[in-house]
Amino acid sequence: MFRPGIVAPTLLLLASCNQAGTGYIELKMVPGTARLPALYLEADRLEAKPGVTVLRQPVGTARLQADGGDGKVLLCHVVVKKNRITTVTVSPLERPPRCQCERPSGTEGAASRTCIG
Amino acid sequence: MRSRITRGALQITAAVFSLALLAAAPAARAQPQTSPDVQFSQQLDELKKSFTDVGRQIDESAKSIDTIKTPEEGRKSIEELRGQVAKLLAAVADNGEISRLGARALALAEEKLKALERENRFKPEEKQYLVNRWRELRTATEAAIRDLDGARKDFAELLRSLQTSEDYIDELMQIREHEKALQVIHQLSDGIREASVKLKKLLGSIKPPGS
Repeated sequence: MFRPGIVAPTLLLLASCNQAGTGYIELKMVPGTARLPALYLEADRLEAKPGVTVLRQPVGTARLQADGGDGKVLLCHVVVKKNRITTVTVSPLERPPRCQCERPSGTEGAASRTCIG
Repeated sequence: MRSRITRGALQITAAVFSLALLAAAPAARAQPQTSPDVQFSQQLDELKKSFTDVGRQIDESAKSIDTIKTPEEGRKSIEELRGQVAKLLAAVADNGEISRLGARALALAEEKLKALERENRFKPEEKQYLVNRWRELRTATEAAIRDLDGARKDFAELLRSLQTSEDYIDELMQIREHEKALQVIHQLSDGIREASVKLKKLLGSIKPPGS
């Protein structure tokens, strides 16, 4: 049954989603530690597991942060492009955890480290 | 006059809003309360259907890549392929609906088994029957989750391989190595066919729990 009240807003929502699109972040956790630090992509806490986690993410730049005891510590920025995958390796053995980009951009230093896909 | 128009506009807005609510209400009522394991099975069934369609498109892309004559055409083809592979990856991403449902379905099976251990209402044979059925469901759910994990790894690898090839072609075109770029494009079709075979295997192996 055609329901304009539902169909129209849904179509609009889909259209707005498609304009920017989505991409992917592949998060690799270096094994060797029993306790993984809590990781955040922007405000969302990640259910990161040992090994590889693949996350669907809206196109744009997201901050990857870790729980640093006193608050969140910025590990790196992750640039997500439409239908592309950005690979980031996190080494939790280091304090604070270190972000290694498969394809880095920008200069070194936590504040400016950026991974691109 | 102006107030009459405003009142009319308000009435129309209210009518449209009421219609929208009326249209939404039966849909909301019709939604049965299904448990995560049933939802997980339903979503896996849907996934198999959509993967079959995407698999067909990937096969067609592999065929068309062999006949490509210019690097520009090749780049466009790879971009389209990335879109198709991205659809597959979206369905199995760790933060996607199916992965979440899989985890919830597994947690439910674990909870039910623990609860049945403490259960005293049923006869031993009845209790054993329920325990066996939940164990079967747990095993089937774990197997489906493993298949999804494998698929996620394969699709992520394929997407990375496509984007790296696209970047390499782009670099080659910047130094006007058009022939070399065409070679890279044609070599890609083997990788795509391999991915298509893996996808077909996955479609054959994924079994929605309880089916």
